[in-house]
Amino acid sequence: MTILAVSDGYQSTHTREHMSAPQITTEDREGLTRTLGVGESDVGERPTLSQLRGTIDAEADDSFASMGEAIRAELSGRLDASLLAERREELAAQIERLPEVRNVGIPAGESEPDRLYREVIEPGWDVYHHLADVGFFESVEEALPRFTPDHIETTAHELIRAEPLSGTLSGMGFDEHEQMVLVMNVVNNNTRLARWVPTKDIPSGVGFDVDHVPPLPQRAMGGTLLWVNALDVHLWQSRVLVTEKILDDAFWDTKAMLGGLSMMTEAAHDVAAGESLTDAQLTAALSASAAIMIVNQEEICKDAFWITEEMRAPSKAR
Amino acid sequence: MAIEEDRAIKAAMDTVVRETDNGYRVLGAPEQSVTHQHDIDRIPEFDVTEEMLKGSGDDPEAWLVYGKNYEQHRYTTAGVITPENVADLELEYEMSVGSGSSMEGSPLIVPGDPPIMYQSNGPNHIKAIDPREGDVLWSFTYAVPSDVVLCCDDNNRGPAVFEDKVYMTTLDSGVVALNRYTGEEEWYASTADHESGYSATWAPQVYDGKVFTGSAGGEYGVRGFHTALDAETGDEVWYTHTSPEEEWVGDSIEQSCCTNWMGATVDTEKGRLYLPMGNPGPDFDGSVRPGPNRNSCGTLCLDMETGERLWFFQESPHDVWDYDSACPRVLIREMEVDHREQTIDAVVSAGKTAWSYTLDADTGELIERSQPGVQQLNMYTMIPHIDEGRRMPFMPGAMGGNDWQPPAYNPDTGLVYYKMHNSPQEAWWRFEEYEEGKKYWGGILEDETESIPDGYNGHIGAVIAIDPETGQRVWRDWIDSDIYLWGGILTTSTGLTFAGNQNGEMVGYDAETGDRLWEFDTGETPISGDPVSWYDPGEEKQYLAIQVGGSGWLRRGKRDDRLMVFSMEA
Repeated sequence: MTILAVSDGYQSTHTREHMSAPQITTEDREGLTRTLGVGESDVGERPTLSQLRGTIDAEADDSFASMGEAIRAELSGRLDASLLAERREELAAQIERLPEVRNVGIPAGESEPDRLYREVIEPGWDVYHHLADVGFFESVEEALPRFTPDHIETTAHELIRAEPLSGTLSGMGFDEHEQMVLVMNVVNNNTRLARWVPTKDIPSGVGFDVDHVPPLPQRAMGGTLLWVNALDVHLWQSRVLVTEKILDDAFWDTKAMLGGLSMMTEAAHDVAAGESLTDAQLTAALSASAAIMIVNQEEICKDAFWITEEMRAPSKAR
Repeated sequence: MAIEEDRAIKAAMDTVVRETDNGYRVLGAPEQSVTHQHDIDRIPEFDVTEEMLKGSGDDPEAWLVYGKNYEQHRYTTAGVITPENVADLELEYEMSVGSGSSMEGSPLIVPGDPPIMYQSNGPNHIKAIDPREGDVLWSFTYAVPSDVVLCCDDNNRGPAVFEDKVYMTTLDSGVVALNRYTGEEEWYASTADHESGYSATWAPQVYDGKVFTGSAGGEYGVRGFHTALDAETGDEVWYTHTSPEEEWVGDSIEQSCCTNWMGATVDTEKGRLYLPMGNPGPDFDGSVRPGPNRNSCGTLCLDMETGERLWFFQESPHDVWDYDSACPRVLIREMEVDHREQTIDAVVSAGKTAWSYTLDADTGELIERSQPGVQQLNMYTMIPHIDEGRRMPFMPGAMGGNDWQPPAYNPDTGLVYYKMHNSPQEAWWRFEEYEEGKKYWGGILEDETESIPDGYNGHIGAVIAIDPETGQRVWRDWIDSDIYLWGGILTTSTGLTFAGNQNGEMVGYDAETGDRLWEFDTGETPISGDPVSWYDPGEEKQYLAIQVGGSGWLRRGKRDDRLMVFSMEA
């Protein structure tokens, strides 16, 4: 694959810094402490999950536990544990490969783009199709409530407490800072997440043709895959607009979405194999993974697809 | 015979287009289509051949396809009217077409002695006219079913001709073929169920024995398609859904919209069609249709023989502002792109985003995106939703930028000429009842905004010239009015560009500079039609014709039913 030049003056070799998660702002930290009910002194300049784990209430939420139990009961025997485990490993390998993909930036190809970003999500498609085939998305949506401040707060608590999930993300190549950013995606986006209403909660009699609206977790995972899927053709066709910043932002947004996808895969695997997560943590993993995928698909849209006049690379023709 | 006695005109006049909560309804149409013949012997009988259609662009006596040529240049080689004499251009006559409904069309001119004009307007009314005298030779009104629903007026934007037939799309999502000498119906083909929200308003394209026609209903939860019909029989040759299954989540594709509600551009050399693509569905609630929502809001290239999707370029991914990209695509062959040291066939168009896009016709690669034609304020900002209290005006509004208004390309100046809106709107997202065939915005759109964006210059529209190679905006004529700017543009080999506007002005611009060289006041009604021009050797005159009357669904101004014909002697 060829590294194609883009035109906003960035160097063609990228440092790790360019490809990292966004900085955590003061506003982010304030939102975090408010939602978790912890003191500002408990959250330093660069908060981490392990640091927070020691400061939050350790008591599990009963309603989360019963939701997780219901999901396990509903999906028992329907999921293919070995397929999910294999694809989870393949996803990890693809996420690890993302810096290399970022260094290519824009796919090569004479008459159409090479498969660059599309390769990254191949295992993700397998997971998606399997989950869709067994009714996973419908079952999860049925069991979980819509995103409300209370639900998000509890999700955040359980997520932070769930060391196995943190371990999964570490295994997927997310460092402590990146893990924290993913948690903040969940914690600090009440309003945005509230816009994404589970199909079952679209008001009675005023919904869309509900038969044609997929369940919320499917929209989260399917949307994630479609955004990454479209990067090849979008970046290749619109290269005259693309800057290094756009590619950097797309890198993180992609990685974050795939972090969410991996977390949902892990949760599905846990249902199939019944091993490491408590029922409450399972609920949190499913909610949080959907939230991460939702927030970051809105981010990649703004960062890499809606290219305004201010964002675009300068024209070479004028 | 006076047109007052014409039964087809009477039928069209009796047809009422009523705005309802669910869009426009067509009421009182005849139960059966009506043809009324006058002096049809005046129509010279010969086949309009494919060679004639392909040569329409270079033929100063002809306007045989919607955009003058298949490349949609709207460029006439008739050379009588020049920048030096345009000030003397005079009205030859004006005629009432009898039905003062939507007047957004492009008439066609079949050369001959006399030439024959085929002119259509809403609601599905078409005539053969002797344009020397303004005499109606036959007229036809289609029997539009009363349960048709239309988002945006009862438009018909023009016919197509081939051999002995003239073709018109019908508001109930069909195509009707008429004998072009008699006005009698030859065949009718339905392309989709209008009760599900489908309709058809554009000029079809005819080439290689096929009629190419698309789909409308993007505010009614339909799934868009393009189809080819046998020009002789109306039988379906191929049918292609515009949105690919693999690029939508689950069943959201069933109400994905992605309609193509203006005609295709026909690439006779590559055997391809370039389609303008409309919004995804629902318009404003993106959460029920995650992902980029391909193939909405952009340009779709199809193989003309099979309907296979070849490439798609998207202008507004995951659109939530109703940023259709509707204007006909301009195909420029062998365009030299100096800064890339390339010569390419280019597909050029502007969408509601207000940028002009120059694409490689082979691949869909973006060669250049222009400077904005009009203002972009609060653009690409997620609209508020669910709680209705928050409103945010954005520009371009949901009307654009460039909506359906067909542009023109002048190979001598190298410029593409557009008409664009420049007005804010507000939208927000809330749950709204969906029923099959009912309007399906998935939110609310407000044309009367609570506030205006900082920096808005107050001009409601503009006529703009853009260099498709560099994207440079070369000139711009701002238009002030309370009414929206509709209709197409015409440009000439002598260096003129003509456009009507909503203030009733017909304007002749210097194509290079945008200077107004000629203005004609047609009265108080807006001009919503597309100017067409031809040279008549029998009269030794160059003519210029345009339909006059307010059209559209918002701020359209007063209705009218005039066809105005200007002329200049050679």
